[in-house]
Formats: sequence, structure tokens, C-alpha cells
Amino acid sequence: MIQNAKRLARLLLFVASSSAGVAAADGGIITGKVEATPSKYLEETVVYLKGPKGAAKPEVRVMDQRAMAFIPHVMAVTVGDTVKFQNHDGVVHNVYSPDNEGFNLGAFKQEEERSYTFSQEGSYSQLCSMHPEMLAYVFVAPTPYKAVVDKTGNFTISHVPAGTWQVAVWNSRLKGADKSVTVVAGQTVTLNVTVKR
Amino acid sequence: MTISKTTPLRLALVALALALATPAAAIPAFARKYATSCLTCHTVYPKLSPFGEAFRRNGYMFPGVDSDFVKAEQIPMGQEANKKTFPQTAWPSSIPAAVPLSFGANGKVVVTPSKTSSAGLAANGTKFTLQDLAPEGHIWGGAALDDNTTVWAELTFAGGGADVEHAQLLFNNLLGPRHALNLIVGHGFPNVTQYGPHSSYLGDAMLPTMPVSAIYRPDDLGADPWTLVDNYTGMELNGVFAGMVDYAVGLNAGKTAVIAPTDNFYGRVGFKLGGMRLDGEGSSGAQDAARPWAETALGVYAFGYQSNSRTSVAAAVTPADTAKVIGLGARGQLGSAELNVAFYNQAHNHGTDTGDKVTGQVAFGELSYVVFPWLVPAVRVERFALKPAGGTSISNTLIQPGLAVLIRPNVKLVTVFNYEKTNGFPTSGGAWMGGASDWGQHLSTAPASGAASLSEFETIGFFLAWAN
Repeated sequence: MIQNAKRLARLLLFVASSSAGVAAADGGIITGKVEATPSKYLEETVVYLKGPKGAAKPEVRVMDQRAMAFIPHVMAVTVGDTVKFQNHDGVVHNVYSPDNEGFNLGAFKQEEERSYTFSQEGSYSQLCSMHPEMLAYVFVAPTPYKAVVDKTGNFTISHVPAGTWQVAVWNSRLKGADKSVTVVAGQTVTLNVTVKR
Repeated sequence: MTISKTTPLRLALVALALALATPAAAIPAFARKYATSCLTCHTVYPKLSPFGEAFRRNGYMFPGVDSDFVKAEQIPMGQEANKKTFPQTAWPSSIPAAVPLSFGANGKVVVTPSKTSSAGLAANGTKFTLQDLAPEGHIWGGAALDDNTTVWAELTFAGGGADVEHAQLLFNNLLGPRHALNLIVGHGFPNVTQYGPHSSYLGDAMLPTMPVSAIYRPDDLGADPWTLVDNYTGMELNGVFAGMVDYAVGLNAGKTAVIAPTDNFYGRVGFKLGGMRLDGEGSSGAQDAARPWAETALGVYAFGYQSNSRTSVAAAVTPADTAKVIGLGARGQLGSAELNVAFYNQAHNHGTDTGDKVTGQVAFGELSYVVFPWLVPAVRVERFALKPAGGTSISNTLIQPGLAVLIRPNVKLVTVFNYEKTNGFPTSGGAWMGGASDWGQHLSTAPASGAASLSEFETIGFFLAWAN
């Protein structure tokens, strides 16, 4: 009985640790590099798949406010995910976004937090009305298959189901064309993307 | 009007002082902003390359999206997304993390070959002096507040005082197509030429000036005379259409020692064929990577200006003077060779202290060839003609061969030989004044012999300037 319970627990843990509910563990990997012109905006880039949409389990992510800055600067989530905005500064902060449906989480003190569930695809500028220099982006992707590039533009999207999918790129200021990519289970496909004015 | 024997010399010294007060222009603050060399916009500064002219014309902004090219750290005063929440939030802008200032100095060494020339007499026979090697200091400031707004300032220190030569806000791309409508508010130079006001290798200003009221009215108008090229307080609308047609219209407070009414206005319209677009957009322009300043192009412009100078002296004695100017200018460029020419007529309705009319004509030409980006031989010719009502027509010509050299991209030495030929003098025993350079200007005074004409090798000027 105890052995069965442990097996069941391991199985539940495995399912919970999967970021996607669609054929995740046996999928392929899309990796590559984004080149941005001008390069100063490179780190504000998200690469994502437009499909398959699947039925991913909503996640709760955390965006902190420390030293008068949002951390991380760019976050990619999936439609239905919730972002918990924290405040670890000794000053009062606010979180709001004028983008898409728009929202305002009001003012909150140190150690307080407010949450918002993103139900629409698209990018959201995260602002603080009290400190106008503060800025972050939450990009809401239509699928769980998305990645924020690193400082050099590299990205990796794991657990992608086998098939041919449209890969899109979002940048805060620049534009890039969609690309079609065929993913084979257990294999890695390389994709390079350019974004520019 | 009584003229003493020393009056011409004193007037010539006043002219020297006036000329010395004219500014130089170079602004390393912009070099810092973009982390780029002075040579991106200049050859021998302040002379601008076609790209530099476009940068200036765009309100000191790069073609395309200015912030794409900014490398200096900026502190946001708001975010782009705040435009969606305006007016609940302020319209966003940014400031540079480092104070956007730059510094410089300039001065001259003037050699006067002849003690008896007008220059020699004005210098009390001194043939060579180092006294003016660094008489001017400058603080320049320039920064973008956003992709459409620039601030630009220049403070010059000279003669124990300071002068705000520029303090301008430039609001660019206000309406319509990009670059079509820009607004400049503040203190600075009216854009009466298609090119930068300091667009000369040998002169400080491109257009020579003729201070008629300094020549003929030694009252309070003469102490601070209006000239076509100077810094005034006002506002200007300008723009570029389709990269080849440009215009400017402005209103300013002019320059009067006593009262400065804002009823001085001016306008300019021009076009450019060939070469880089006036706004620098697209891939037009320099095709030779080794000679980015070179192009084959022709620019033509016409301008007009009306200035009203008031005085505290009773109108019945010395009435207010109105100057009306109409002119035409052109720049032709063939590779590294460039010819700038302009002509304008300047008519004063009360140009003398007895209230008489004065008409004058000013013409200039400057031919230059960029041998290397740091070495530019040039020759400049300026001609003034004056005719007061009831008087005779007189003229004065300045011929200036010279060489502009960049010792470093931000250090320059300009050598100019000044030859002056005069046919008559402004008044009995009077002096010529004006011109476009700190180191060679119209200054012939009537000789004691009473001769009506004079040809003089006035000076050899060595002008040194640095900016950092």
C-alpha cells in the first residue's frame, strides 16, 4: 500500500513538473539565436510557437520589485497564467499596465504582493505610477512553448510536440517574420531569427 | 556728426570686438551621446558633412529612430507606454545619465605685416601678439528628451562676461510627414541659410554680416547693431519635404540695445538636387566609404528678413530703423570640391543718425576642396557695397585664401591670409565693419592722405580651437 502510494506520488510529481500538458516529455527541442538591429533591444525578445495550443496547466509566476526595478525585466507566460507581483523595496510601489484590457493593482507596501491572471495574448508593459522609470514586459504567449532570449540572444524551447509549427518572435520595438519549423520527437532543431525596424 | 581722428580706429576695434563675440559651433556632447567621432558629422568643424547637415536639420537627431543610435546611458522620465495613459501621466522623456556638457576654447594669433595698414593702425603697430590665443571659452549642452525633442545650449565666456548664445528647445516632427514640421523655441541663430550658420572653413559664419547701424549710427543702435547672422530670441518653424525641399519661417525679438520688440520676421525656402537627402533618410548620399563628405549635388535657397530696431532716443532725432533683407544662396558640390555663394540686399529706411536711407549689398563665395578629412584648402571672397541716400556708392572686398587643418578630430588650426580692397569709405574718415570671421574682417579705414581707395594686405590670422 505504501509502495503504491509512493509510485502514485512520483507519477503526480512528474506530471506537475511538466510545463505543458501536451505530449511534453517526449517532444523535441527548438533552439537558436536571435539577432537584433539595433542590438540594444535584443534582451527584450521572446520566441514562441503559435501552436499547438493544447491544454496547459495554468502557472503562477513571480515578478519582484527590488531596488526600484522589476525583476525579471521580461517574462513570458501563457494565456491563463497568473503573475504574482511582489514588493521587496522599502517604498510603496504600484503595478499597472495600459496595454490590451489594461489593469491597475493599486499601491502596495513592502512585503505585500498582488496577483493578476493574464487572459489575453499579447505584450503588457508593466509600469509603476509612482516611479515612472520602472518598466518590465510580460509577454503572454498563446502556447506553453515560449522562451525569453538570454543576453546574447540564445533561446531554447523544450518539450515541443512533434509536428510542423509556426514560430513567432516578439520584441518591444523591433519586428521579425514568422517561421515554419518541423519538430521531431527526441531531436533538436536549430532556428535563427532576426528582428529589426 | 563729428568724427575725431581716432574714431575710425575705435570703430575698427569695436568691429573686432563684435566679430570676436561671434560663436564657434561644435558639440562633443552629441559625440558622447552616440559614442561616435566628430567626423561622423564634420570635416574640419564646425563645417558639416552632408550627414551632419541632415542631423542639424532634423533638430540634432539621426535619421530613422534617433534612440536606436544612442549609446550613452539614459534615465527614463517615463516609458513609451505612458503615452497611452496621458493625460493621467506625464508625456515620457529621458535624460542622459551623464551631464551632456562639453567644453572648448578658441583664440587667434594675428600677424600684421604692415604697421600702416588699417589692421596695423588698429593694433597700434603691434605686429604679433599672443594675447588673444584663448580669449573665448565655451560650454555646450545638447541632449534628446525623446525621439522628437532636443535641447541645445551654448554659453560663451569672453571679455570677462558670459553670453547665452543658444538656449533652444527643438520640437521635431510635429505634424504630417516626418521632418515636415519642426518648431524651435528659444535663443539661437535664425535658419536663413539652407546650411548651418557656421558652414565655412575660413569664416566663423557662412554669411558675412554688415552692421549698418554700427557704421552710420553711433547712437544706441550702433552700440548693438542688428545683423543678418546673430543669435536672437524667438521661435521658428522649419521642415523638409520629400528630402529635397526645405523651408524656415521665424519670428524673433531682434537685437536692440534698448528695446527688443518681437516684430522681426524672416523666411527661407530652398531645394537640393542630388546627393544625400536634406533629411538624411534612406540610403541616399555618400557612396564612397573613403570620402563620406563627398557628393554631387546642388542646393539653392532664397531668404528674406525684416528687422525693426528701436532706440530710446527721441524718434524725431533718431527714428527707429527697419532693415529689409532679401537674398539668394547656393551650394554646388562635385565630389570633394564645394562652392558656396550667396548674395543679399539689405535696405535700411533710417540707417544713419540723421534718419537717411541706406542700401547695401553683401556677396560671398567660398571654394573649398577636402584633400583629406583633416586638410581643407579654401579661398573665400566677401564683398560689401553701401549707398546712403544722397551719398556715393562705395564698396569693400575681402579676399581670403586659407587652410583649415584638424590637428585632431576635435582640435583645429585655421590659417587665413586677409587681403582687403576698398573703394570709398562709409563716411568721411569712417571705417568698414563686418564680415564673417574672427580672424579677418572688413576693417579698412580712410587713410590720412584722403585717398578714396585702398588695397591692403591686412593680416595673417592663425585661429586655434579645441572642443572636448
